[in-house]
Amino acid sequence: MKDRSLMPRRQALRALGVLGVGAAAGALAAGQPAHAQAPTLGQNESVQDAMKRLFGGRTIKDGSAVIKLDIPLIAENGSVVPVAVNVESPMTATNYVKHIYIVADKNRIPVVTRVTLSPEAGRAAVGANIRLGETGEVRAIVEQSDGTLLQVARDVKVTVGGCGG
Amino acid sequence: MSDIGKVRLRVPSSIKPGDVVQVRSLVIHPMERIERDAQGKIVAKTYNYINKVTVTYLGKTIAVFDTTQSVSENPFFSFTFRATDPGPLKVEFFDTTGGRYEGTVDIKFS
Amino acid sequence: MTRRALWWAGLATLSVGCAGAVPDAPDYRDVPRWTSRALPAARGEFRILPDGKRAAVRYPGWSTRDFDRYRTYAYGDERPEPAVQRVTMPTGITGDPQKGRALFLSRSKGPCIGCHLVPGDDVWPAGSAGPDQSRLGDRKLPDQYLYQVVWDARAYFPKTIMPPWGAAGILKAEEVVHIVAYLQTLKGPVAPETDRERNPFTRSKPAGFGDNLDPTNNPAVVLADDGEGIWTAHGPAGRACADCHENGAARAMRGVAPRYPKLVKTYGRVMSLEDFLEMHAPETTGRAMAAQSADNLAMTMFVKRASNGLPVNIDVTSPQARAALARGRATFYRKVGERNHSCADCHTPGGAAGKFLGGRLLADVTTGLTRHFPTWRTDRAEVWDMRKRFQWCMTPLGMNMLAADSIEYAELELYLTAFDNGKPLSVPGIRH
Repeated sequence: MKDRSLMPRRQALRALGVLGVGAAAGALAAGQPAHAQAPTLGQNESVQDAMKRLFGGRTIKDGSAVIKLDIPLIAENGSVVPVAVNVESPMTATNYVKHIYIVADKNRIPVVTRVTLSPEAGRAAVGANIRLGETGEVRAIVEQSDGTLLQVARDVKVTVGGCGG
Repeated sequence: MSDIGKVRLRVPSSIKPGDVVQVRSLVIHPMERIERDAQGKIVAKTYNYINKVTVTYLGKTIAVFDTTQSVSENPFFSFTFRATDPGPLKVEFFDTTGGRYEGTVDIKFS
Repeated sequence: MTRRALWWAGLATLSVGCAGAVPDAPDYRDVPRWTSRALPAARGEFRILPDGKRAAVRYPGWSTRDFDRYRTYAYGDERPEPAVQRVTMPTGITGDPQKGRALFLSRSKGPCIGCHLVPGDDVWPAGSAGPDQSRLGDRKLPDQYLYQVVWDARAYFPKTIMPPWGAAGILKAEEVVHIVAYLQTLKGPVAPETDRERNPFTRSKPAGFGDNLDPTNNPAVVLADDGEGIWTAHGPAGRACADCHENGAARAMRGVAPRYPKLVKTYGRVMSLEDFLEMHAPETTGRAMAAQSADNLAMTMFVKRASNGLPVNIDVTSPQARAALARGRATFYRKVGERNHSCADCHTPGGAAGKFLGGRLLADVTTGLTRHFPTWRTDRAEVWDMRKRFQWCMTPLGMNMLAADSIEYAELELYLTAFDNGKPLSVPGIRH
């Protein structure tokens, strides 16, 4: 499988944290076949551990001025929850959104996805349907091309039926 | 007949040069979730889920989604690209069992 | 199951849901027997285990409980509604409000909050199908009265939609005593609501799942495309649908689906498209198309979408249609199951339609609920037709399901579809 990373492989692995520990813990949880190249993004862990693993001790600033996180107040179920993240950004070669992370605090695997963009994307506007294990916060974390980290979070209630579901 | 790997893409019907265009994509895929045994221990096996989506426009990768089992079954993804020239926009989905599924839209200006 | 005259004794008990025409009385004498050809898991059958016990044969993951004690929709099921139980609250048990609250919220019981709002940030999601009980204690009602209402509310309210929890055996005497003690503690002032979504009377309506016909939004649209392959494939008898239905399905099938369900003379019964395909496909092409099979669902969606945009147009005037409608209507208003509910209890404006049952907004049948079926179920990642939706009601009602292709379900579907007459088909749907 051709490597399609947008940045040098070594840098990519560093951003994910300690490769050795991550991969070993991940192998049993997610059953990644031996031929897989990148360490598993999704791990069975607390959201605190996930944030530490992804960002270490880096400062994450409030991103509400530029990040719009669209997610329903109430999710009818935890199977399909539509999420859209829009970040105000010129998306030029020197100033663009490099990564958008979606993290669900209460999920057993809190890291939902990491989107890596290039300026050719034209806009930092992505969407995905996600799973939510239960009511809780969903975060959008943005990494700018200059390394700045920004975050917004929204509380999502997952609902159930009155009798059958 | 399995529907796994069937891809659908949508772009607006009219695209002008320079437009930033939204693409909607869907792939049929089980996105298998972690199973636990009666004691709550994770069942060790290879779980079949999409863990990478790459978007290529005119041969260049412009977006990558690294994805986990917290993405919904039959995953939907949307993203944008700046339509500079006519040509193919390709979306490839890779899963943990070596599966590779793709869809291509031929971008034309109108 | 034998077929014989069943004259419903209490025609007056059929609630008057529609203004105007007096509904025909249901007549069951001419209803034929039907042997199910649905998938084994879809027939509502039981097998006998070596120890003599019955085990339900159902869809994977569905409850295997046997609700044999309770009335079903089967036309031959002549059991009366469970008798109203008038009881006296036992003395000698001290009611514990904390235990009562836990029972009130417990999903293995009602949950009572499924219909009734009470205070607490942990109350999620409460429903509005029943009255808000947040200040019930202020009314200073006698314990005995509350006990009876929870045990069997029909003693005071004959037309109630509240299940007879004690009479049905869902709550034990001691449990009801605790619940009464809890209810008596619910006094004002009630703290102001900090979250309008918590309260079902102010909660937002569900946003839905977007454009049902967008293949990048609705996986069922992708699955419906499978119908094309089936349409042109030669079945074991050497023929394809396309051989008889010329010029492509989009043209050949346009205008067909809006007439279903209908009486199909060949089989002497009311049939939906799914019921018809189950017989028609093997008889013409040799290809099996059992109800609830993937092929049946794909073909149903494929044929129905050829009529998308056309108004539903089922026969409601011929004598046979009227007879079937009368039976379907009787089914709709029939109290069934452990919970002693009728469809009407939840799905008519006179019942709880438009209100929340837990977190689910209850749909009103009179607005037309059938024209998006089969539908994608996002929570199940499956295509469900109307029959599977009927069968699912087994779970909240506590009632054994019938076969997917049963005549009872077909005539119930006929009754529901009448409300969609004149409204445009849009298949497949997408729902929770």
